[in-house]
Amino acid sequence: MTPTDQHAAATSQPTSGWSGVALIAITYVYFLIFAQFAFLHRLAQLNIADAHLKAVMAAMALGGILFSLLAPRTEILAAPRPRLQLALTLCAAAALLTLLPLNLPASIAAAFLIGASLGTLTVTLVTHLRLWLGASNPLLKVGLGTGLGYLLCNFPPLFTASSATQSLTAAILCLAAVFVASASSSQPAVLSTEAVRSHRSAQRRALQSITPTFPQVLLAFTALIWLDSAAFFIIQSTPALKSGTWQGTAHLYLNGTLHLVAALASVYLLRRKGLSATLAAALFALAAACFLLLDPHRALLASLFYPVGVSLYSVALVAYPAFLSPAQTLAQRARQAGLLYAIGGWCGSAMGIGMGQNLGHIPPLFVLFAAALILAPQLLQTRRRELLATAAVLLVAAAAWSAQRALTSAPPPLTQIQRGRRVYISEGCINCHSQYVRPNTPDVLLWGPTQTLASLRAEQPPLIGNRRQGPDLSQVGSRRSPLWLRAHFYSPPQVSHDSIMPSYAYLFRTQQGTGSHAADTRGDDLIAYLQTLRPQDPDQDLAHLLAQRSWQPSPADYATATAAHGEQLFTAECATCHAANGATRNQWRTSFRRLPPIPAIGPLLDIPSQPGTPRRDRLAQIIKFGIPGTDMPGHEYLPDADVASLTLWLQQIIPHPNSPSIRPIPHGDIQ
Amino acid sequence: MSPSPTSPAPSSTLPHNRTHSPAVTPTTAVIQSAAKDLRISPSDAVPGRLTATTTAPHPYAITAWHSLAWLTFANAIGVLLAVMLLFPATNRLFDTFTYGRWITVHLELELYGWSSIPLLAFLFKVYAVDREPAARWARPILWIWSTALAVGAFTWITGHTSGKLFLDWTGYSRILFPLAVLAVWLLLAYAFACSTQNARIAKLIGLALLLLVPILLYISASPNLYPPINPATGGPTGASQLESTLVVVAILLLLPFGLTHRKAPRSRTVRSHTITASWIIFAAESLLCLGLGRADVSNHRPTQYISLASLLVWIPLIPAYFAAFAWHPNTRRWRLAFLWWWALLVPTGWALFLPAVLDHFKFTDGLVGHSLMAMAGFVTALLIFVLVELLGDGGWIFNRTWSFHAWNFGVFAYIALMFLAGWREGSDPSFTILPGTARNLLYAGRLLVGVLMFLASAEWLLAASQLLRESSTSQPSLPETAA
Repeated sequence: MTPTDQHAAATSQPTSGWSGVALIAITYVYFLIFAQFAFLHRLAQLNIADAHLKAVMAAMALGGILFSLLAPRTEILAAPRPRLQLALTLCAAAALLTLLPLNLPASIAAAFLIGASLGTLTVTLVTHLRLWLGASNPLLKVGLGTGLGYLLCNFPPLFTASSATQSLTAAILCLAAVFVASASSSQPAVLSTEAVRSHRSAQRRALQSITPTFPQVLLAFTALIWLDSAAFFIIQSTPALKSGTWQGTAHLYLNGTLHLVAALASVYLLRRKGLSATLAAALFALAAACFLLLDPHRALLASLFYPVGVSLYSVALVAYPAFLSPAQTLAQRARQAGLLYAIGGWCGSAMGIGMGQNLGHIPPLFVLFAAALILAPQLLQTRRRELLATAAVLLVAAAAWSAQRALTSAPPPLTQIQRGRRVYISEGCINCHSQYVRPNTPDVLLWGPTQTLASLRAEQPPLIGNRRQGPDLSQVGSRRSPLWLRAHFYSPPQVSHDSIMPSYAYLFRTQQGTGSHAADTRGDDLIAYLQTLRPQDPDQDLAHLLAQRSWQPSPADYATATAAHGEQLFTAECATCHAANGATRNQWRTSFRRLPPIPAIGPLLDIPSQPGTPRRDRLAQIIKFGIPGTDMPGHEYLPDADVASLTLWLQQIIPHPNSPSIRPIPHGDIQ
Repeated sequence: MSPSPTSPAPSSTLPHNRTHSPAVTPTTAVIQSAAKDLRISPSDAVPGRLTATTTAPHPYAITAWHSLAWLTFANAIGVLLAVMLLFPATNRLFDTFTYGRWITVHLELELYGWSSIPLLAFLFKVYAVDREPAARWARPILWIWSTALAVGAFTWITGHTSGKLFLDWTGYSRILFPLAVLAVWLLLAYAFACSTQNARIAKLIGLALLLLVPILLYISASPNLYPPINPATGGPTGASQLESTLVVVAILLLLPFGLTHRKAPRSRTVRSHTITASWIIFAAESLLCLGLGRADVSNHRPTQYISLASLLVWIPLIPAYFAAFAWHPNTRRWRLAFLWWWALLVPTGWALFLPAVLDHFKFTDGLVGHSLMAMAGFVTALLIFVLVELLGDGGWIFNRTWSFHAWNFGVFAYIALMFLAGWREGSDPSFTILPGTARNLLYAGRLLVGVLMFLASAEWLLAASQLLRESSTSQPSLPETAA
């Protein structure tokens, strides 16, 4: 044990540290669930909005800033424990006060009280945190306290409770914290601070060489809190985002768990990689969330990054002023904590909310600026050569690219088909679909006639592909109608049973009125392009059609086929269009050229009216290759025995032309 | 091409093993004691952590770290892809970042991240970039490379692609990445100019040839250029395959000269003959390749598959060739691995080109499995072998038994699953397109072995990080470290 350790042990009572964990957790719960949530809802209930709301929030910020800065400088109630207890009591009182039917001036006063008590609480707590955390594993306890605080805030019964319940909970927790704070130490706190000051100075000396300067840290935290607050406000005030991030019990539990895990990860990073790496990791996660939030459809993904980023920096926000700052004295530590929470916390938060209110989104350039603010000082200090060399190459490339674009004449505007081909390339369709029919192979019958190499080379580049995760598309325009393609892009598993193809509904968002890019026509362009993929030689096309018309399942296929299996296949593959309650049929009811007939009802225009072999063969051909020129697709990839089974089943249910009544349907009514 | 005895010493020495630690002084002891209280890693509190920024870590350690970081990241994407195949609903979570886009990112990062960066380390060795004053520029150059790759990855995932697999550079990144390659070339030229190396003429010619790489990269990324097409399958012709394999053979033949030296005189004659014979055969096959031309020729033509059969001679020749050189003892495991993969890759590659076989496997997972054998099996083992040779005693990062077996078993199992799927698909296209238990079991198997491979690469990355830290904190020269 070092002399400073001995001194610390002599002047303060040993503590397990759980009181510190509880105090941190309660402080976070109070701030998050009451000050950021319940109080705002309460103000809405009190009909305080617009300019009045801004005045109330400004009062809270003013109280927070003022008392964050004053707390370290005033001698009134200087001992940490009573001061902390007073701040907690005032926090509880402010929460209870908001339960009353307040008018505007009273609301402003209550908001000021919330800010003032929170400012005093946070600065006092982190400055003297060692008194409640004990000497062992302080960083881990900070991480636990922060993680548990966030976990509790995301606890569904609390998160979804009324604002009154949330305020009451916050008040009760603060009052409980008064007792927690008193139970931690029986020694005069002033003596302990001396011990802590001495003890910490050794650690500060050790860590000064690896932590950035205080102004750099202040800037970094301000940027992070700004991003966090802006993202929080935007999520809160955008229903589409809110529904994708904070709704549903499972999601709330996931959020809480992510917060806890990220808080513990933050402890690991602080210990092993230092403050800069921790803040960089938090920045990465928050920046990813901010970028993803630009599109409401990515809110779910953003909701994974956001809690991670928040918890990563929140642990550091407590640990830095408490243990890691380069402050030489306790008074200096307190002043730094005050500045950190006043400027980084309150001002950063206000600026973030302002950005959310005024812009409704976080500009990517601002995120990049924040990243530069956080990363550049450290990188310039430790990786100057790397940074400058990389920046130089990036700039040279940008200049060369600009010059290239300036020197080359502007290409003519793309046609819709060319744009569609671009979409095909952009979406990586080539990674699952080939565009090459191999001559003299079963490909020809299934996917259409072959192309010439000259026609392939005329495309730039040829999109032959090397893998068929799905069908070949070289002649897809002759096999699938525009409507089928559209329905398939919207929901592949709905149209093609259990298809593993992802949905490309986002290519059509503008048509649905949910997107913000009014000119986006990618989905229509892609369909237009795919429709051009068809035989260019009419003779070849005709020969291919004749080959399809001469195809039929072999006797062996019929020998293994059963109508019962056909019924199962019908339900899986066909019912989506050919059953009255079919999903595709109902979703696209008005778009079909002719509504797909219910087989048991008809009319089936392309089927020979008389039962017999020609009718059976034609049914099989339609199942396999569809009906050209209509919305009826083929099922080229179905094994012939399956086609035979379907044929047998359909033969049973298709009504006899001479009988107006519907024949009995085996195995239940498919409608 | 081995380092001359009069060459200046390397800029720093690599830590020999995992237990290496910097010298402890009274100052560091006090600091470490203070750091212990916060349970912060003592190495974080050592003043050397900052001095690490002034004492550059070894170029090979940095190269290994960058390449492994990309390997691990690309493998993580591979796992994501396997998840998307097994649970297609996962795509919904990623909105526009769908399977098709991730595939491009995965493939390009495996190629330009993992498969390329270790070869930079080889070039660093050849041109003595591991010596000052060039050594200090190794890390900035790798930053440039990785940044260009990150920009590329961003463009691919956001849908800016050219449609040319493995040459998917378009727009800004089509200029940026060749510039990154050019930056590497500039470093090599600088190192060459600063040092008094042997074989200067050969290296000068090498530099001239390497200058073509960024230019060719830019040109070949153009959508207007496309290689010869095998009309029977839509894939590469036999001549193209022969050409690309001969490029790999050329690299294999050149590697030992840049990495090490020939073995001692005992049975030297036989070894010399092996080396000479290899180069003569290589020259003959290159002429054959030139003779085949670059026309669109079917694999059903006997000239194509018979010519390709000439590659079979390299199955015994490459092991014999490598046996003629002296290698660091740490390389044994991976040397054997890459030679085994080579012995498996060449005959299966040829067999898969035969008319009936290729007709069956084309566009199926079978051929994807063979590509995996080439990249994850052979190329990965070869690159790790190169890195271990360069790292020397620091090569322990790749020699943990668990990760070695996990990787090689994982790759082998993955290939087996893909061949099985390919075999089924070749007979029945509906096997992949339609849902089914067998297909989903294969997807689940791919996911499991994919996770195994990811874990192996993650372990190498963690070990490389440790090596990098130790390399950063190690003293500039061996005597001082020992002291």
